[in-house]
Amino acid sequence: MLDGILIGLSTALNPMNLIFVVAGCLVGTFIGMLPGLGPMSAIALMIPVAAGLDPAAGIILMAAVYYGAIFGGSTSSILINAPGVASTVATSFDGYPMAKKGKAGKALAIAAYSSFSGGVIGAILLLVAAPFLASVSLSFHSTDYFALMVLGLTAVAAFAGQGNVLKAMLMTVIGLMLSTVGTDQTQGIQRFTLGMIDLLDGVSFLLLVMATFALSEALMAILKPKNDADRLKEKEASANLGSMKITKEEVKELAPVVGRSSFLGFLIGVLPGAGATIASFLAYGTEQRLAGPEKGKEFGKGSIRGLSAPETANNAAATGSFVPLLTLGIPGSGTTAIMLGALIGYGIQPGPRLYIDQPEIFWSVIVSMWIGNIILLVLNLPLIPYIAKVLAIPARFLLPLILFFSLIGVYFVSFNTFDIQLMIIFAVAAVVLRLLDFPLAPMILGFILGGMMEENLRRALLINDDSWSFLWERELTLSILVIAGLTLFVPMLMPLYQKWRKGADSAGEGG
Amino acid sequence: MFLTNRRIGGLLLLAFCVTYAFLSQEIPLLPFQANVAFHARTMPEMLSVLGIGLSLAIIIFPSPKEFPEFAGKNWLTVLLFLALMSLYGLTIRPWGFILASSILLGGGYWILGERKIWLLLATSIPIAVAFWALMTLGLGVFIEPLPWFLRG
Repeated sequence: MLDGILIGLSTALNPMNLIFVVAGCLVGTFIGMLPGLGPMSAIALMIPVAAGLDPAAGIILMAAVYYGAIFGGSTSSILINAPGVASTVATSFDGYPMAKKGKAGKALAIAAYSSFSGGVIGAILLLVAAPFLASVSLSFHSTDYFALMVLGLTAVAAFAGQGNVLKAMLMTVIGLMLSTVGTDQTQGIQRFTLGMIDLLDGVSFLLLVMATFALSEALMAILKPKNDADRLKEKEASANLGSMKITKEEVKELAPVVGRSSFLGFLIGVLPGAGATIASFLAYGTEQRLAGPEKGKEFGKGSIRGLSAPETANNAAATGSFVPLLTLGIPGSGTTAIMLGALIGYGIQPGPRLYIDQPEIFWSVIVSMWIGNIILLVLNLPLIPYIAKVLAIPARFLLPLILFFSLIGVYFVSFNTFDIQLMIIFAVAAVVLRLLDFPLAPMILGFILGGMMEENLRRALLINDDSWSFLWERELTLSILVIAGLTLFVPMLMPLYQKWRKGADSAGEGG
Repeated sequence: MFLTNRRIGGLLLLAFCVTYAFLSQEIPLLPFQANVAFHARTMPEMLSVLGIGLSLAIIIFPSPKEFPEFAGKNWLTVLLFLALMSLYGLTIRPWGFILASSILLGGGYWILGERKIWLLLATSIPIAVAFWALMTLGLGVFIEPLPWFLRG
């Protein structure tokens, strides 16, 4: 392991890669701060740039953008109560009330220190967990991988929240469907190309991500513009932040919160599909319960514990979500799904072999997380008053720029004008689905996993002489599939069970 | 009212899944593949069944009473932007990167309410030129900068 860390350190500390970490953190913070644009859009916008770099540098850049975007999202949550992403919604519960009390600087500092601690503790846990899981997963067969991908997809649907399970499942299937467009990988047969040469290679992953996130988010902002009061609020917030100092008593109060939330966040992050949003809400709820009646009342009114817990947890979860990506090749979240797509673009197949075959990539990602977190603290925190000025850029200039960068981001990779038109079609579909409240992240996850899932299923059937019995004959495959079934059906059946219990209780009281 | 947001989405995606199912039957199969367990149609057929089933479930099951809101949204502005982006796709080659990109940016600012000509020009042309320079001179990716009538 020590050798690995040294390899990672030498790669990540390479001056060029350090520049990418710094640039990634800054750009990520900048993009993440823009309301509506989250880590997914930030990473998507970076893919064309990363495509021109070597794999280690590209992944380091994207990981840095990821952290920067989460940090930037927290900033807009605190300053203007406009979370860039769902994972920073809980941050705004106490961060924004603090900002309203004139303590925006302190809130930003607590958020930065908490994010840093969550990220660093998460990276230490990743250092231990990833090689262990990678060595275990070396014994996995293609049948197990197929089952794992089913688990990954069902978990996404299951964590979608009450009432959204069916929608998330359907969107996952739509993503899987889109992944089948183009020439079949093994047999060379054209599928769903509608006779168009431009579709022979299928739908580009970058195109789909850019259209469904960056482009559609900009179009949504045009469709539903903010009113003048909101714009004024943004200008005022970016102009006056107050002191950034934290007292010793506050540090003492926050230390156990940070410790607990880091572990909780990391564990939730490792679960496929759960991700930073659930981690941040769980950490917030846990700390509110543990705070006791006196301190618990402060939650929602500017509690430092209420701010620190979700901030720590979402960063630790972001780190945790790299565990299934790096060790099993299965993304734990929408963001890591985009990173998986980028890795595949480099010709790298993440999975247990990555740890053995390309240790420099495996370890440099882990080490760059530490460096990224340090940079966020040392560089971004002092720069926040200046970066926050981005909130004052008028939307009439910002939105066309986002559209421009999205379009040329895709065009510069393929140099095919058909892609621009296809992107517009996907963006329109994404806007319609957003308006109807259908989630888009499961679609991306389905799209990314589709090809691999089909390939593993084909291989599993080939090994088993065209027999589907591998689904129940191999214990590991069966166990994973049972877990997948439970993750999917338990949340669906819970409301029915609660209803039944309520009915039984009231019948008991009545009798 | 039956047509809630959820059901409209379900209907639209059902139409997509049914079309997908029909098109999946047009995937050609090699003669020996008729009786094998896995061929190019296997996954699409499985997905068609799943997609249609899930869309129907979304339509049939009870749905929250949320209905589409058309009022108070800038539909026309979005349509203009879609047209502008499509025009960009059509013109980026014949008109060259700098002119097409400047029109996209300047047109975008104008649609969103900026009317000062000098500001429109000052915030579009330099960005297009700077980006072209970064890509071509910085990263070595050649993009034709000039319109067809100015090319040598």
